[in-house]
Amino acid sequence: MRELMYRDALREALDEEMARDPTVFIIGEGIAERGGSYKVTEGLLAKYGPGRVRDTPIAEAGMIGVGVGAAIAGARPVVEILYVDFAMLGMDMIVNQAAKFRLMTGGEGRVPFIMRTQGGTGGGVAAQHSQSLEALFYHIPGLRVVMPSTPADAKGLLKHALRQDDPVMFLEHKHLYMTKGMVPDGEHIVEFGKGDIKRAGSDVTVIAWSNMVPRTLVVAEDLAAEGISVEVIDPRTLVPLDRAMILNSVAKTRRCVIVQEANRRGGVASDISSIIMEEGFWHLDAPVEIVAGLDIPIPFNLALEQASVPQKPGIKAAIRRALHLEPAALAAE
Amino acid sequence: MAHPILVPQVGQDLTEAKIVELHVKLGDRVKKGDLVAVVESEKASFEVEAFAEGVVISLPFKVDDWAPVLEPLMMLGAEDEVATAAAPVTAGAPVATAVAPAVAPVAVPVAAATAVPSVAAMASPAPVVGGLRASPAARVAAAKQGLDVSRIAGTGPAGAVVLRDIAAAPALVRISGEVTLRTLQSGQGTPVIFIHGFGADLSAWRPLVGRINLGLPMMALDLPGHGGSTGQAAASLDDIVASVGDALRSVTGGVHLVGHSVGAAVAMALTARGDLDVRSMSLLSPAGLGPTVDGAFVHGFLEAQTEAALAAWMRRLVHDPAMLAPVLVRATLSARADAGLVPAQRHIAHALFEGGTQLFSTAAALRAFGGPSTVIVGREDAILSAAEIAAATPPQAALHRLPGVGHLPQVEAADLVVTLMCRTIRAAG
Repeated sequence: MRELMYRDALREALDEEMARDPTVFIIGEGIAERGGSYKVTEGLLAKYGPGRVRDTPIAEAGMIGVGVGAAIAGARPVVEILYVDFAMLGMDMIVNQAAKFRLMTGGEGRVPFIMRTQGGTGGGVAAQHSQSLEALFYHIPGLRVVMPSTPADAKGLLKHALRQDDPVMFLEHKHLYMTKGMVPDGEHIVEFGKGDIKRAGSDVTVIAWSNMVPRTLVVAEDLAAEGISVEVIDPRTLVPLDRAMILNSVAKTRRCVIVQEANRRGGVASDISSIIMEEGFWHLDAPVEIVAGLDIPIPFNLALEQASVPQKPGIKAAIRRALHLEPAALAAE
Repeated sequence: MAHPILVPQVGQDLTEAKIVELHVKLGDRVKKGDLVAVVESEKASFEVEAFAEGVVISLPFKVDDWAPVLEPLMMLGAEDEVATAAAPVTAGAPVATAVAPAVAPVAVPVAAATAVPSVAAMASPAPVVGGLRASPAARVAAAKQGLDVSRIAGTGPAGAVVLRDIAAAPALVRISGEVTLRTLQSGQGTPVIFIHGFGADLSAWRPLVGRINLGLPMMALDLPGHGGSTGQAAASLDDIVASVGDALRSVTGGVHLVGHSVGAAVAMALTARGDLDVRSMSLLSPAGLGPTVDGAFVHGFLEAQTEAALAAWMRRLVHDPAMLAPVLVRATLSARADAGLVPAQRHIAHALFEGGTQLFSTAAALRAFGGPSTVIVGREDAILSAAEIAAATPPQAALHRLPGVGHLPQVEAADLVVTLMCRTIRAAG
């Protein structure tokens, strides 16, 4: 095991897979000469040359189109989009082409297209650079949605993404690139659809992904001092989702809190909650709590930005409500 | 702004309380600390005080009404205020007089303890204002254990019954077929099962159980045709024993039995069934150990229609009439509001005591019982014959004949009965 930064773990995955598979190539804005805005691709140009590590113009629709087309033609492109917000320019290629192609060709076609990008709030970059848009991709059948929270998961999931044949929305978080964590030596692959129990507990299940995982773990540690045992589950991939792990945990703790940075309306948390209602209802001892962002554009003002997405006190309060330790907001009868 | 004065939670597992006194009427001004009402449940009465100053602007109940606990008993407000706030709550609870006496838990047959709760199994037998608030997990756990979730005091949000209430409930209703089995006191280890006598019900044990500090679970059951247990089918002691035996099948790992009168006979007969691991028996004024029974008492007790008539007969149960608390008579009378109760008991009386004779004997079962057994009988017992009981008590059983005590040693010599009972249970190891 070695301690690596999230961004270095991602680079290791790219490096290892590019060395292993000559069809893997990377394109993006400033990813070759500059090594990427978050330094994920630093050094890869020198190692693999401009034919496989290529800077592009500022034209996301074109970049995504190139990636989807190349994937259909048999390559394994990794297209880096600087902010997930900018991926909206390529939504037709993603939603109408990449996601559908395999099914519409009767299973003959394959689209091993990877869009690496990052989202979330962080340091006042305002409404067009702070969104958590996983729900848009989550909604579209045919896409894989991956949201690693640790360096080890980032590496293992990216390597798995480069060895499977479906389009992958690989959604990183701008706050996580500089975080450190232990990464296993040697070949480390994390298959899709397998969640991870980031902290085992018995009193309440908290489901979180991406940057909400470290935030929730801090809360869990705080609550442990109060004698509350919190189990933190990171699904790691939202599609496919590890339903079994979620339902087993809820069956054990009988309480569930879901934390998502994205705004509440139409979010993944609501969908996971509905799954628990359908398949885990009789295990529940309290209503499922959702802690989510407000249904507003992310404000530029830093204090307002913080107020618009889940923070530790809000997560803690939701956990305490799920444990009947704080009055729930009961609907009027 | 109108404020409610709530009906107090008069017992952990009760949903209604009887209003026995009202000290205010509509339009009265009350101040903080004023006694406004007295409500009663089983053996205890509770004084209700005003917590604030105000005028009684709504008073939907009258004396002898049954009121749902934790719902408004009355509303206080300003002189000219109209009690609109009270309307939605009280409108949902048109509490008819004596619909379901609190002393008579309603037994609802629960389908075998299946993991999948059916709607029927979830239906609440008691009227609960605003719907039953219980978490899915609590409902499943209750159904699995045969517990009536509507009779469990909730500690969740807004009084919701949550899982911990099922796990920790000290007073639960356990329902099995026709026999209601209720935990009166929670504990660890081999449970002590209390079986009441003819015409009583499990609530009769509460005063005694309150004095016991063994740390064991204390459970009591209603015999068929008594209290909350339904069914008139009991045509013999064997029928009763079969029903009780079935109900106790869910209690695994041994039991201590404490029985009074017919309940003691049931306890003895249970040991002969062979499918129940009885560790000890404490038998108070046991029936089944001789032919004599006061037939006039049985008839008079059953047919008494008024409190005075019932009290006259019930005084025969004790040696010192002062020991018969009026509330015990009233509780017995109010239990008869259940229309099926007296006919069922007539049926049982006919089967057990026709012609002033005990038509059953459990003496052989007592002789065959290998565990610690104690027989406690009042020398002044006017219902059964103390001499017959003493003569039928085998040498290995401890016999205690209490002077100045009638048919209810658990009432007239409660401390001694507790001591002897605990000694018997401890002797079982």
